[in-house]
Amino acid sequence: MILAPELRAQIEEIAGRYPDRRSALLPALHLAQRSLGGCVQADGVAEVASILGLPLAAAFGVQSYYTMFNRQPIGRYHLQLDVNVPAMLAGADALLAHLEQVLGIRAGQTTPDGLFTLSTVQDLGSCGTCPVLQVNDRYYENLTPARADELLTHLRRGQMPDWQPEAAWGSSCNILLRRRGNPKARELAEYRKTGGYQALEKALGMTPEALVAEVKAAALRGRGGAGFPAGMKWGFLPKEGNRPVYMICNADEGEPGTFKDRQIMEFDPHLLLEGLTIAGLAVGSRLGFIYIRGEFAWIAEILERAAEQARQAKLLGNDILGRGKEFEVLVHLGAGAYVCGEETALIESLEGKRGCPRVKPPFPASAGLYGCPTIVNNVETLACVPTIVQHGAEAFKKLGTPNNHGPKIFGISGHVKRPGTYEHPLGTSLDALLAEAGGVQGKLKAIIVGGLSVPILTAAEAAGLKMDYDSCLKAGTMLGSGGVIVMNETTSIPAVALRAMEFYAHESCGQCAPCSRGSHTVLALLRRLVAGRGSQADIEAVLHLCKRIKGSTLCPTGDAFSVPIEAMVRKFRPEFEALVR
Amino acid sequence: MKLTIDRTTVEAQPGQTILQVARAHGIYIPTLCYHEKTGAASKCRVCAVVVEGMRGLQLACSVPAKDGMVIHTDTAEARDTQRLVVNLLLSTGTHDCLACEKNGVCELQDAAYHLGIMKPAFVIDSGRGEERPDDSSAFIVRDHARCIACGRCVVSCSKNVINRVLDFGYRGSETRVICDDDRPMGDSSCVQCGECVQLCPVGALVEKKAIGKARTWELSKVRTTCPYCGVGCQLDLHVKGEQIVKVTGVEEGLPNRGYLCVKGRFGYDFPYAEDRLKTPLIKENGAFRPASWDEALDLVASKFKDIIAQSGPDAVAGVSCARSINEDSYQMQKLFRAVFRTNNIDHCART
Repeated sequence: MILAPELRAQIEEIAGRYPDRRSALLPALHLAQRSLGGCVQADGVAEVASILGLPLAAAFGVQSYYTMFNRQPIGRYHLQLDVNVPAMLAGADALLAHLEQVLGIRAGQTTPDGLFTLSTVQDLGSCGTCPVLQVNDRYYENLTPARADELLTHLRRGQMPDWQPEAAWGSSCNILLRRRGNPKARELAEYRKTGGYQALEKALGMTPEALVAEVKAAALRGRGGAGFPAGMKWGFLPKEGNRPVYMICNADEGEPGTFKDRQIMEFDPHLLLEGLTIAGLAVGSRLGFIYIRGEFAWIAEILERAAEQARQAKLLGNDILGRGKEFEVLVHLGAGAYVCGEETALIESLEGKRGCPRVKPPFPASAGLYGCPTIVNNVETLACVPTIVQHGAEAFKKLGTPNNHGPKIFGISGHVKRPGTYEHPLGTSLDALLAEAGGVQGKLKAIIVGGLSVPILTAAEAAGLKMDYDSCLKAGTMLGSGGVIVMNETTSIPAVALRAMEFYAHESCGQCAPCSRGSHTVLALLRRLVAGRGSQADIEAVLHLCKRIKGSTLCPTGDAFSVPIEAMVRKFRPEFEALVR
Repeated sequence: MKLTIDRTTVEAQPGQTILQVARAHGIYIPTLCYHEKTGAASKCRVCAVVVEGMRGLQLACSVPAKDGMVIHTDTAEARDTQRLVVNLLLSTGTHDCLACEKNGVCELQDAAYHLGIMKPAFVIDSGRGEERPDDSSAFIVRDHARCIACGRCVVSCSKNVINRVLDFGYRGSETRVICDDDRPMGDSSCVQCGECVQLCPVGALVEKKAIGKARTWELSKVRTTCPYCGVGCQLDLHVKGEQIVKVTGVEEGLPNRGYLCVKGRFGYDFPYAEDRLKTPLIKENGAFRPASWDEALDLVASKFKDIIAQSGPDAVAGVSCARSINEDSYQMQKLFRAVFRTNNIDHCART
């Protein structure tokens, strides 16, 4: 046996926490990888599979799906550099070249002494503090070549320094980022001292129907990207039946440009727990999950610690505040897969499977996790729930513009002087946001306002834009996650398109043909164009593919790349033409 | 109920999908991942059709037929999407039909033919052509470069046959069907039932022994009952001249609905074995000599008579072969009970 008896016992214990043992597959692979020195090879996978009673092919299929699972030995320090669009705009390519030179290896290789493995990765969810390097499970942000050298010196001495990022933030709403600057806010006592859990106390005195009605009345639109009304989603649950209802928090933010949920989870974890618990009470759920991206392991620990404090204070458990209501939360770590941000892929992943989206219908509200009624809401959405319950829907609706109510965290990255996260009412002007972020470095050329998957805007199109769902739609783009990527006149749009396509081709789950084969083909064509070996026909082929892929895939991932790439080519066509000789 | 597909009104049964209705009436809709045994997967996206009154393209494999539905499989929009998918699959795999075993019965080739695709629209280096096919197993050759990841083999192995050897591994355009932890099929726990080969729509999974033996159109099918055990699986011998080239299970036939075991599917060499018995043999002085059937049967009958005369009917016993048909087994027990007057009769499949 390659897994130690204690580890096997731990896997057994974790398997017992879930309604279905298979859900323990990702946690088990994480644990095995940590205990086996950074990789799990065939014998380890076979043992994990046998503990959980899974076919070997299913376990290996899962292990090989997620990028964080290593199947080959790696160096003692795994240096993973984010190279996607916001990182690229912040100089990640130069840092990669520097690291390759200093370490004497290329990305994907390990130093001969076995100390360092260098990898490039697609988005670490810290676009405001790029370039960012993940070393094992710790982030090092705001890196420069000099800082990287300093870090390597520490690592060579066997030390992992504790460097805090210098992240800019601001808030005019004081709801979601209210405690952002308070380092003690992670503690339950401090959270309660600043008004926390009052909304939960109020919710305990309300009926589930009244809670749903309040959130419906607040017209809270889902902050994950789609903007679908959360209260309406809750209302889709079947009214009768004896199947358990599951409440899932989607904390898998991983689209380049998006780094907002992290601000809540890392700095105000109880706000999320409170929102999730109220949502659980509203939908009649007794078990909730926070599915958090695997790279945020330390944030998962923060959440687990907060949940434990809440449990101790009877804010979670089978008798919340002595009022006879029951709700428990499990924090579940993903393992590197953007598509798991799609709710049905997330559910599959939570069930211990490959993160491939399901065919809808059925929708999760009728058949979700373990085939039971399930609600999936984004972190920021749930974090809005306490204020709605505490102060009422009307107060919430005072913020924002008609049909676009409440606070929103905008993550601003790229060519601005103070990239960071800024909380303002929906409908705040883009110009004001850019000004708060220190203004554009140089001259604004183009801007992506809702995360990488929305159509790019030219500087002219972006002028005067109001940052809410409806205004963005009217302007030919989408608010999405509110991840704003700013590009100045030095930016090459074909290079951005190529980098974006590298992300989506890497993240396509691979199950449906137009997405997996389409992303691969568009990537190949863009690579050829950017390398100067392309033709006019290649530009046409990219446009043709994007037009046809849109709407033809099993899940929204096909649209997530075809729509923005088409917009980049269409709006900046001369730049693509200039590459064709 | 009635619905209209491409201006033709057809009859539909409740519970049928658009695709099932179309197939029942001989209307071709290109489809690659659907198989009635593995169900609608909605993965290839090639059966995109227009349904009047429904927004966007619909998948014929997944949408239930409704009375009065008006469906178009051949609008410009539907055809564009159908062509897109087939073009992408052709561009990102190695689909050289010339020496492919599936040439002529390939569903991807059929789709390309019906959609008028002469060659792949996108010329890119797929990187898939360099990998050698996996011929490590006894009877099946796997070629990832030809695989379109439809998933029929994975579903059949894991959910229908429940051998649970195959699954999808890796992701994105690198997604591939794996055996166990992605080892060669010959080193895996695969028992070579071959159901995956039978369901594969393209040349990614083929019968090893059939390679190079015949073009598909040279084969004629001879339906028969599997000679091995008493289950009586129905199979088709694919015959070129006097030679069996391969064997498939009869999909619409009971009791096996196309499923076969390794013996039934691949153990068809014995009719051609040089050392098989062609005449009865009689042992004399410690050595066998060929004999005629009349001589051999006369000898056996006289020995039985001698034994029964000397020691009574219970001194003999009969074991009927389980591979015999029911009628032969009936005659056998009749011979022992009514003629020999003994109940010592059994057959070899008793456990």
